[in-house]
Amino acid sequence: MSNEVLIIGGGIAGIQSSLDLADMGIKVHLVEKLPSIGGKMAQLDKTFPTNDCAI
Amino acid sequence: MLDVGRHPNINLMAYSEVQKVEGSIGAFKVTVRKKARYVEEDKCTGCGACEEKCPTVVPDAFNEELGTRKAIYAYFAQGIPSTRTIDPDHCRQLNGKKCGICKKTCQADAINFDQKDQIVELDVAAIIVAAGYDVFDPSRIPEYRYREIANVVTAIEFERLLSASGPTDGHVYRPSDIAARAKIEQLEKTLNKTTKALKRYEEKFGEASEDFYKKFQNGQFSDDEERKKWASRYEEYLGISGPLQELKKQAEGFSSAKRLAFIQCVGSRDFRFYPFCSGYCCMHSIKEAIIAHEHEPETTSAIFGMDIRAVGKGFEEYKIRGGNQSGITYVRGRVAEIMEGANHNPIVIYEDTRERKVKSQEFDMVILATACAPTKGLPDLAKVLGIELDDYGFVKTNPVSPVDTTVPGIYVCGCAESPMDVPESVAQASSAAERAAEVISLQSLNKESAVA
Repeated sequence: MSNEVLIIGGGIAGIQSSLDLADMGIKVHLVEKLPSIGGKMAQLDKTFPTNDCAI
Repeated sequence: MLDVGRHPNINLMAYSEVQKVEGSIGAFKVTVRKKARYVEEDKCTGCGACEEKCPTVVPDAFNEELGTRKAIYAYFAQGIPSTRTIDPDHCRQLNGKKCGICKKTCQADAINFDQKDQIVELDVAAIIVAAGYDVFDPSRIPEYRYREIANVVTAIEFERLLSASGPTDGHVYRPSDIAARAKIEQLEKTLNKTTKALKRYEEKFGEASEDFYKKFQNGQFSDDEERKKWASRYEEYLGISGPLQELKKQAEGFSSAKRLAFIQCVGSRDFRFYPFCSGYCCMHSIKEAIIAHEHEPETTSAIFGMDIRAVGKGFEEYKIRGGNQSGITYVRGRVAEIMEGANHNPIVIYEDTRERKVKSQEFDMVILATACAPTKGLPDLAKVLGIELDDYGFVKTNPVSPVDTTVPGIYVCGCAESPMDVPESVAQASSAAERAAEVISLQSLNKESAVA
């Protein structure tokens, strides 16, 4: 029996899941294929409809 | 992002891939391959001195190849973990050539060319698939001539041009102009080298290259080997300086793109490719048009689409504001073809369905609102995990349990499940996290009741 979770993909969805679980006190392994996490959202300049900065 | 790197409960394994998964809910055995970065993460301070000195220049994938990076690189400036990676396909040292400049430069002694891939075994109770999506490749639609016409770009490429941290520092330069500037730079470098070589000959023989070359053409010095070399160098110089002057003259007329066309539903709502609506592209185009107008107030945009799907809180208002304040015209009609006019300007041919007329219009740049396609690696990952994919290639779910895959204990969120925008991805991610947490809390409940 394990009480850890594996998350595959370090984009905005993977980051959010990781933080939610980690804040619950659950140990998380976040695996990302690319050298840095951030995913597609990190490539965005601003987000709609508020024009907030994406990073 | 930064929080992920710092959180004590998160073990971040970037530059890694899941290779094997065995077991079932509550007790999965996972094998992860941690690829060699050739940089020791714990030693690297992230100073970037290695990157500065690296002699190998490679197109930058993060900037959609509109800019360049080095063979030792950070995927992007604010990337987490804030370490560098050596690209084994391009590094000179790793390809058997003499180099190792990064190793000599690194004061932290973090470069390790002998690093090997590492296999890590994990025991987990649940798995969340957040593999994301790929941008639809618009070169599959021949009539849009993506890649053939330089100034036809995808929405994500345009996003990098708009970004202050992008390859153009946020100036919306046209890719044809960027390529011309790069060519000028390259020609200038070669010209400098040739001019230096010519100077050496001029000093040696005490004569200007031009005068010498006239004599040479008249048949003098035809049996002098060194002067022959001088002549061929001078010919090289003439061959570069002419086109360079012309290019420079053209470059004086370059300005940022001010007439933009956005084409909606590129690959989506199209029975040849993906019949579904990707959902976020209408708003994405409006946002890009608004930001471009903010950068350069003379910018006008035309958004070509069957309809504008501004579905969401505040979205319709955003669309109207774009039309009223940011120079956006919404044109109802599908684009039939893009042609290339003078000065690399794309010409859009379309039917205006409001007026029932076929029209054409010239723009500085065309931006394709590409569909959200399943990511390339998803079929392989699905095989490893044993989960099913749907007809389009996204992870299969049930409408009443949208984060549960076909395997108990494996959950999905974000664009791996279906196209969705950022807030939806975040909401689904929290939902998947909760489902995974349920597995663990049920386990401990069962354990307690067994003891009782």
